[in-house]
Amino acid sequence: MRHLLATIALLVAAAAATGLLCYRLSSDPGLHAAAVKGDAMQWLRDDFHLDDRQFAAIRELHNSYAGTCAEHCRMIQEATKARDTLAAARSGDPAALAEAGRKVEEMRAVCESAIAAHVRKVAALMSPADGRRYLALVLPKIADFDHTAAPDLRLNPPH
Amino acid sequence: MNHPQDNLTESLRRWRVTPPADPDFRPRVWQRIRIRARASWTGYLRAHSAAWSLAAVVVLGAAAYTGHVAADTRARADREALVVTYLVDLDPRVQAVLKPAAP
Repeated sequence: MRHLLATIALLVAAAAATGLLCYRLSSDPGLHAAAVKGDAMQWLRDDFHLDDRQFAAIRELHNSYAGTCAEHCRMIQEATKARDTLAAARSGDPAALAEAGRKVEEMRAVCESAIAAHVRKVAALMSPADGRRYLALVLPKIADFDHTAAPDLRLNPPH
Repeated sequence: MNHPQDNLTESLRRWRVTPPADPDFRPRVWQRIRIRARASWTGYLRAHSAAWSLAAVVVLGAAAYTGHVAADTRARADREALVVTYLVDLDPRVQAVLKPAAP
């Protein structure tokens, strides 16, 4: 009985050590550190094996895209505001409201195309395999955005 | 009158068992106790090697797989969170929601 219990204890200890070792060997500490810090650029650098030149080029590309992003953001907000104003009016013109809705959709489509083109440019700066993996990660998220969080979602809806 | 039941009772009362004394009984018992106490763990393992080997392969394999899956799950969750963080900074549609609109 004593030997049986000792053998079970040894096996449990060995299993715990094996599990921990495999966890350590299979985990990516850099990825986890970037996630904890919320540092997407560090993630990009580590996960897609960017060298200094690639990383600098991608950072530059992101910085240059920031202006486009801000402009698109402003256009979406304006279109959404115009549509919401029309929708809130009691005697709203249905045709004008539909047109305003189309405008919001159009802005969203322009934005989606722009961001997709941008991430393709980013992917082109990576190695082919990493670029494919990057696109496989981000493109579906960009395409799914309207289904998961509509841009005109009101975070604090008026009561 | 002599009843047969009384005879049996009387016979049983008189019956004495006198087994021959075994002088080796005690030493043999103690010898067996000492052998059991001396049996080593390695001896035990050797005696049950097939069962414990199978158990070790199964348990260690399951532990390794669990460790790998746990790490993979965490990496996937981390990556998912980072993609969202990345796109929040990049996607004007998110910015349009998060940023306060100009009056």
